[in-house]
This record gives sequence, C-alpha cells and structure tokens, in this order.
Amino acid sequence: MASAALADRRWIARSEERSSLGRFLLWLAPWALLLAAGVYAGGLCLWFGLNQTNMDNRFAFGLWIFLDLSIIALGAGAFFTGFLVYILKRAELKPILNTAVVVGFICYSGAVTILGIDVGQPLRSWFTFWHPNTHSMLTEVTFCITCYLAVLSLEYVPILLRNRELRKLPSFLIFEHQLHKLVPVLAAVGTFLSFFHQGSLGGLYGVLRGRPFAFREGFLIWPSTFFLFILSAIAAGPSFLMLITAAVEKVTGKHLVAEDVYRRLGLISGTLLGVYVAAKSIDTLIWLNVTSAAAGVAPWRYYEYKPFGTPLLFIEIVLLGLLPAFLLTFRKTASRRGWLLSAAALACGGVLINRFVMTVQTLALPTLPFDEFLTYTPSWQEVASFGGVIGYGVILYSLSYRYLPLFAKPKGDQSHVSLG
Amino acid sequence: MFPWVDGFHWTFGHILFLSLFFAVVLVITATLISAVNRTVKNLRTQSAAELCWKSDFTELPDTERHCRHEIAGRVASRMCDNAFDCRRCAKYADFAALPAAGMAHDLGLKYSNDRFYHRGHTWLQPNEDGTLTVGLDELAEHLVGKPDSIRMPAIGERIETNGTAWRMTKNGNEIRVRAPIEGEVVETGGPASGWYLKIRPQLDPADPVTLRHLLRGAEVRWWLSRELERLQLQLRTPNTAPSLADGGVLVNDMMDAIPEADWNNVLASTFLEA
Repeated sequence: MASAALADRRWIARSEERSSLGRFLLWLAPWALLLAAGVYAGGLCLWFGLNQTNMDNRFAFGLWIFLDLSIIALGAGAFFTGFLVYILKRAELKPILNTAVVVGFICYSGAVTILGIDVGQPLRSWFTFWHPNTHSMLTEVTFCITCYLAVLSLEYVPILLRNRELRKLPSFLIFEHQLHKLVPVLAAVGTFLSFFHQGSLGGLYGVLRGRPFAFREGFLIWPSTFFLFILSAIAAGPSFLMLITAAVEKVTGKHLVAEDVYRRLGLISGTLLGVYVAAKSIDTLIWLNVTSAAAGVAPWRYYEYKPFGTPLLFIEIVLLGLLPAFLLTFRKTASRRGWLLSAAALACGGVLINRFVMTVQTLALPTLPFDEFLTYTPSWQEVASFGGVIGYGVILYSLSYRYLPLFAKPKGDQSHVSLG
Repeated sequence: MFPWVDGFHWTFGHILFLSLFFAVVLVITATLISAVNRTVKNLRTQSAAELCWKSDFTELPDTERHCRHEIAGRVASRMCDNAFDCRRCAKYADFAALPAAGMAHDLGLKYSNDRFYHRGHTWLQPNEDGTLTVGLDELAEHLVGKPDSIRMPAIGERIETNGTAWRMTKNGNEIRVRAPIEGEVVETGGPASGWYLKIRPQLDPADPVTLRHLLRGAEVRWWLSRELERLQLQLRTPNTAPSLADGGVLVNDMMDAIPEADWNNVLASTFLEA
C-alpha cells in the first residue's frame, strides 16, 4: 500500500495537497458501483432492445431525453466560459476555464452515451451521418453534438497532458503547448456549434405542429424555442459551474476560486436569466393568445391535467427564473455565498423543469379529442443507465481534480510561454 | 453525402448547412494537424528543450521560483518571471550592481568561488581549452550518493540549457539532471571522476553574458542555505513541526539513510522538476 501511495503521489502536482490514496478510493467506491449498475442496465438495453424501458410509440421521449437535454444545457458553461475568456477576453474567468472544460466534456460525453443506448444499434451509428433525415432538426443536433464532443476532447487533451508524469515526455508537453495556443480557435468553433445545437434541441419541439402544447411561431425556419433553449442554457451553464466548484470546495475543504469569480459568474448567469425570463414570458403570452388560438386550441385546457397545472408554469418562470435572476444580480444577495449558491441551484432547477415540461409534459398531454392523458414511469434500467452517467461523471471529475491542474493558480499562463 | 437519401433534393438550406458543417470539420481537423505539425517541428529543432523548461518552470511551486537577487539579499522580495534566464532579464544589471548580504555561519557544504552554479544543483567550471566541465554540487551528491545507474549523453550530442544533461536512477527514482549550459558534449565522466560532462559551449564562455544565468560567489552561499532549509522541512518526520537544527553536516547518501522520506518530491525540488 505504501508503494502504491508513493506511486500515486508521483501523478499529483507537487504544489497540490490531496487526500490519501485509500481515502480517495473509498470516495470513488460508491460512484464506481453506480457506474457498474449503469453499464449493466445500459448493456441490457443494447442487448435486448428498448423493451427494457417503459417508453413506447407514444411516449418515445422519456427520462433519457429529458436528462440528456438537461445536462447538455448545464454543460453549456464549457463553451460559454471559453467564449467569454477567449473571444470576449474576460480574463477574470480563467481560473475556472479548465474545470468548465472537464464539466462540459463529462456532460456531453454522458449525453452522447445515453443517446447511443437510446438510439441503439451502435454498430450502425454511422448511418445517422451517411443517411440522415434531412427534414429533422435532430440531424443538425447529431452533427453538432458529435463535432462539439470532438472539440471538447481536444480542449481536454492539453489539461490531461499537463499531468505531472505525462508532462515528462517532451513530445506530450510540446503538443500540449501547441494545442493550447490553438484553443481559442476551438473555443470559437465550440461557440458556433453550441449555439446551433442548443437551439436545435429547442427547435425540434417548436416545430411539432401536431403537438400544440409545444408548437411555436418563430423567425424564418427557427421557432421561438430555438432561441429560448440557447438563452436558458447560457444562463444556467455559469450557475452550474458555480455549484460544481462550490461542491468541490466543500468536499475537499479547500478554497479554490476567488469570491470575485463567483460573483462574476453569478452576475452573468443572473443577467442572462433575466433576459430569458422576459423572453419566455413574452413567448408564453404569444402562445396563449395568438399561436394556440390560430390552431383552434384552448391553451388553458392543457393546465387542467394534474400534476401539470398552472403552478408548474409559475414555478418554472417565477420561482426558478425571475427569483434567481434577481438574487444573482442584486448586489446584497450576490455578495453572500449562501444566497448566490441557492440562486444558482434555483436557476439550474429552472432549466431542469423547462426541459421536463418540453419533453414529458408535451408527450403526456392529449392532442386529439379521443386521446387520453398519458402517464409514464421510467423503468429501473432507464434510471440505472442514467445513474451510471452520474457515476461516470463524478469519477472522471474526481480523477481530473486529483491528477490534473483544474484550479491551478494563474502564475505565468502557458499561453504566454514563447521562445523570447 | 445526401443524394442517396430517398427523395433528396438539393436546396439552398442543404448547401448552406453542409458547407458550414464541413467548414467546422475542416477547422477542427486543421487545428489538430497544425498542433501535431508544430510539435514535430519543435522536436526537430533546439526549441523543444526550451519550451519544455519554460512550461516546467511555470509549474514550479512559488517557493522555488525566487529571484537570485532576493536570495542574495539584494532585494527584499522578487519572483523570477524569466525562467531563471538572467541572460534575457532586462533588470539583471540593476540588481547585480547592489551588494549581496553577508553570511556568518558555516553551511557545512563546500562550494568554490571558481565555479558557476545552476539552480538544478550542477556546477560548471571553465577550462583553459575553452571547454566547460560540469558536475553535481555537494548537496546533490550527498543526497543521491552512489547512483544505481547513470545514462550519459553520447559524445558529440548537443545539449540545451535546462534540458537533460544526464539521467540517473537511485532506489527506483529516476533523476533528470538539467544542463547548466548549451553546447556539444566532448567527454563524459561520472561520480568517480568528480565531474560528469565536458562541454564545448555554443557561446563564448569569455563573454560575461554567456554564464550570467548561473549563480556565483556570495549568491551560492545564500542559495545553498535556502536549499538546506527546504531539505530540512521536506525530510522532517511526518506530522512534526519544523524544528531548528543546531548545526552538523549532511550525511552521505541520504536516499539510503532515510528511505522512508518522500523522495519523489525532494528530488523534484532539488532537480527542478514540475
């Protein structure tokens, strides 16, 4: 054990203090169990098919899509932080850039894995690129998410290669240096891709003419949900980063990021959330008064089905939208860690509720006069598969935190290393 | 790509989408290829060692990046932001003109005023024939003792300042000794001969700038004094408070004498590893 501990210490940056190897393995154990259960459940779904789930032809989108959309939205902190640091030159956010990339990578790789299980037949995954449905917004989503995962992988590589042992190989260290210099290009590409796939994920609900609850008017080919999904993702992404960083600080007992960074993230998140709430409110009013009426539908009918009543709409827009937007931007509350993190949690909850409403409520509500209100409860395989993604995420983040410079103090940034 | 999809007709939207998609794929691929290309180019030139050192330097703990002028007592506090390359430091001359502080107590370590010292614990001595002799300083020799194995560079091989001069292993630890100067290896020695390398320097050693990045005179004494303090802290029994030693000299072959110490960290600090 002593030699294992010594070997483990070699991989940890010299200036960083980390818990003992035994304690670290103990921390990983429950998450590894969760991951193992997820792999088993996912394997069942791939081997036997979607009969392992409680989805059917009517309820084709369930827990997986709802949570996929949620983690893709929460992972938006990665591209948005890259955009702020590299494109808008907000250097004060640099200390959380690496952790944003790792969180983004975990969110997107997790979402793509679950999508892979959901779509099934992994050996035929290339079909979606070679024989795409050119009329589906999901085609654009597939293309963009795949490309963006490649971008995130490339952004993760320089962080990985700065590990204390890996950097001993000159070729790795120089590749890290050269790739790091090109990261602004990747950040720009990532921003472009993310805007489109976040939007298209929302757009695919907005174009559902057969589902008046989700259908929206819009601009050119894009329904309003296209823009609302982008706005809500870039509003919640920084809040999620704050929560993750605060959680890591709590677990490790270390002060990792300056209070200013928290406040800056809070202000960005709160301002964007305010804009989103305003846009969402206008969109809802237009839908209630114009879009639904034009489709010959009485919109309030949709709020008669419990538990999806008007309280859910109030919770989504006011409690988890307007309130955190206020708390994140109001100086007195934003300067207190407790209020800031509570508001960030509410903002993230708002995105979860929105994705739930768009996915589950849309499918549950009857559309035609003879339709009935549908209910759906995910099977244990669906729950366990997603639990596996959470286990994977915690394990990968924990390993990254232990062995990579996620919150390295900015002392002579790599990008300034030059040949003089 | 799409024409074989049933019922597919080209539209402006398809052309736009595919153009954007392939542009993105092209940019990602080009970025990757460009990074690989630049890496290969760097590895083929002498810039690789310099890049690696500069990158390693940024990862050194703050306590190990103090400026030589602070160590020598010429300034109260100053961190080096020049990767210990005083040859390129614009402020060097200003600080070097100030007198170094004096030191009364004996360190118990020998050092020579004729030699130039590198922060990675090598010394360098100019020879009459224009070559430079390189060896391990006394602190490093006490630390490592007799290495288990040594891997010297080949005669005629070019080495770069702060790049690898030679490698040693001791009790399973690999030690990379950084080169104090750039040049061509003309002869190799070892622990028994008291020196490790003879180098024909790339630059004229008679030019004062050539060896300016190396410590000498009173600076060496202060630097070694700090290094001994660091060693005391790193080698103290775990979970005990730092204590003040009351004199004495370093034992020989400390890696054998205190095998339970965290040698990975001690060696990294001593030989300037990230």
